[in-house]
Amino acid sequence: MTALSLFEKSTTYNGAYIFMMANRFQMLYFVFIMPTYLIHPYMIWGIVLVGILSHFNLMLLSKWFRSRFATKGYDGFVEVFGETLVRFFAWIGLFFLLLKASIILIGYVEIVRTFIYPSMNQKWLILFMLMISWYVASKGMETTIRLIVIAFFMIIWIILLIVPFYLPPIAAFHDLFPLIPLEWTEVNWEGLLFIWSSLSGPEYLICLGPWLRPNENTFKSLAYANALTVLEYLLLFVGSLFFFGSNYVSTTIYPVVNMYRYLQSPVIERIDMLLISIYLFQFVFAISVLLLCFYGVARIAGRKTTKPTSRMGYFASWLTILACTMIINEWAWNGGTVVNRLLNLQIWSGAITYLLVPSFLLISIYRKGRV
Amino acid sequence: MRWIHAAFALTILSGIIATTGCSPFVENNTIEEIAPVIFWSLNQSDDRHLEISTLVPPLIHEKKRMLTLKVDLQKQGGKEFNLIYYRELKPGQLRVIVINEELARKGVLPLISTYLMDTDISQRLYLIISRGNFEEFMREQLNEQANLDYFLYRMLKHYEASNQGEMSILNLHQFKNKLFSPYADPYLPLFEVKKINLTYKGTAMFRHDKMINMLPLMDDQIFQLINNDHYLKLFAVPSSDVILGHVRSKVDIDLDPSYKNMTIKIDLTGRLEEYRGNKNLHKREDLAKLHQDIEKYLVSRTSDLLKTMQQWKIDPLEIGTRTLHPFSKPISDSEWLNLWEKMKFKIEYRLTIQPLVNVNQ
Repeated sequence: MTALSLFEKSTTYNGAYIFMMANRFQMLYFVFIMPTYLIHPYMIWGIVLVGILSHFNLMLLSKWFRSRFATKGYDGFVEVFGETLVRFFAWIGLFFLLLKASIILIGYVEIVRTFIYPSMNQKWLILFMLMISWYVASKGMETTIRLIVIAFFMIIWIILLIVPFYLPPIAAFHDLFPLIPLEWTEVNWEGLLFIWSSLSGPEYLICLGPWLRPNENTFKSLAYANALTVLEYLLLFVGSLFFFGSNYVSTTIYPVVNMYRYLQSPVIERIDMLLISIYLFQFVFAISVLLLCFYGVARIAGRKTTKPTSRMGYFASWLTILACTMIINEWAWNGGTVVNRLLNLQIWSGAITYLLVPSFLLISIYRKGRV
Repeated sequence: MRWIHAAFALTILSGIIATTGCSPFVENNTIEEIAPVIFWSLNQSDDRHLEISTLVPPLIHEKKRMLTLKVDLQKQGGKEFNLIYYRELKPGQLRVIVINEELARKGVLPLISTYLMDTDISQRLYLIISRGNFEEFMREQLNEQANLDYFLYRMLKHYEASNQGEMSILNLHQFKNKLFSPYADPYLPLFEVKKINLTYKGTAMFRHDKMINMLPLMDDQIFQLINNDHYLKLFAVPSSDVILGHVRSKVDIDLDPSYKNMTIKIDLTGRLEEYRGNKNLHKREDLAKLHQDIEKYLVSRTSDLLKTMQQWKIDPLEIGTRTLHPFSKPISDSEWLNLWEKMKFKIEYRLTIQPLVNVNQ
């Protein structure tokens, strides 16, 4: 029996990988339901504004990557915070990782069930997805990171399918009016929070520090990833305004998938089925990375960092995510409704981690430098 | 040795799943056993019930027959058909919904919302209104033309695909968007059905989701020109004994800032296809006179059409969208309706006709 070596490091990845990972992390589940939350045409500016804020946030994050601690992984964190504090953060981190993995998994599975297998029990789909992720993640962190190339290039072209929605007769300028907010309600604040939360994700790259090769271009990679994401958000949101009109967009579930459903192809009729299946790549990638992070963080939390990785521990992490997802799916998930408490929790938790992690790390480094 | 363990575990696991009958897939789509229907026809049966019918089996060389059921809900129809027919009906290939006029006058929203929600059904579903008994027509025609349901769909698709401007065809998605927009009202093609033929009669106009009335053919032609397709292959103007061909229109609608007056300028370009009047078209004066006659006639017809729309309190031309501006608050739909009812308009036509004969000075 060969030993399981999940966190071996024989090579490091450059800025292109950072770019692709940051971008795909920002394009997970939330983008599918975004127009339902934004509704008003003037939220276009909201996307731009929050995108710019995110740009500055990534600037902070890249400063962390440039520091000498980033690539050392666990040892780096210990150097900055001390062992007790790292273990404390690891415990908190476990919660966020678990929540994020479960929510995006359920979110995607629900899309699959809605459009492809309406009669299928969601639990099977969750199990299948996690089994694929198990396989991918068991190849080790290095190979998993490499999967991003496939995931990125399999999916990025899909955004081009938006073009027909920008042509008349579907596109009409008056669908975008009024362009400035004439009244500002709570819904708009929630929309901004939602955009910020969907832009979260790159902060998880700090867990992958040892496998990355940060240099002076790291910030550029992150900034381009962010810019591409904002562009995709804008294209999808404006496209859905053209397609549904501002009055109807809030009543649809999964507006983005519904838009793709309207496309016609001479070869296959249900183009949405194909596209949803292709999105599997990025979800498998994200969940595999989160699974590996979860295992790694759990090892830190349980003071097992000196021992080699074990099949048992890996399996236990996998089982925890599976169990958590199943429990959420069974008891706490109100699919397809805005009154979905867990989704709201994820919106908040994503927003908080994205806001706090980079600035907190940076402050710690500066304090460390002074002491 | 490891793979033996893995294989063993896998066998046991699949054995357990198989013996408990816990298969994740429950739907059966074996092509020989299903009948993917192309259209549903909906009728009002009595106060509470719907009469719903379709033609089965589609596109298979097998004797077709008409199935009709009396149901409370549409999907119930889908279910009960399976009980009286040996194939299972599948809605995945549904293309056309035929709604009876009486039913449409009571409101179509509860009917179409079923199709809006169903992820199996394409949003490019055509909706048409039938006047008369569609089922009877289908039943009569079955012997003459076996694939009638398919050809009906092809006809709608043909006229929709490149906006040829013969019929006002909307699919479910477009209908829904017009229905939910505060500044637009939907419309659908209306077909009159007799025992032996199906005739396009004009455009059925809707106020919210209820059918109000129908535009007859002459008005329908103008409607195609100024709104729906901006094109007519043949445009008959019987008052001047003339047929114009390949008519393209460019419509310029201008609202004044108070929304009290409106100017519509319509440029028509086309060519003279047929003339049966007694003017000499080789003479310039006569041709100019013909131009004037047609323009005058069109102005009066269009103004009547707009007045009718004001009377019916509908705005299918989506003139209300012109009140939207990037930097001002949109007016509400009831406000717009009030303005629209009182609006005064001026209509100008500019005709450019290629005479297709040599004109003398």
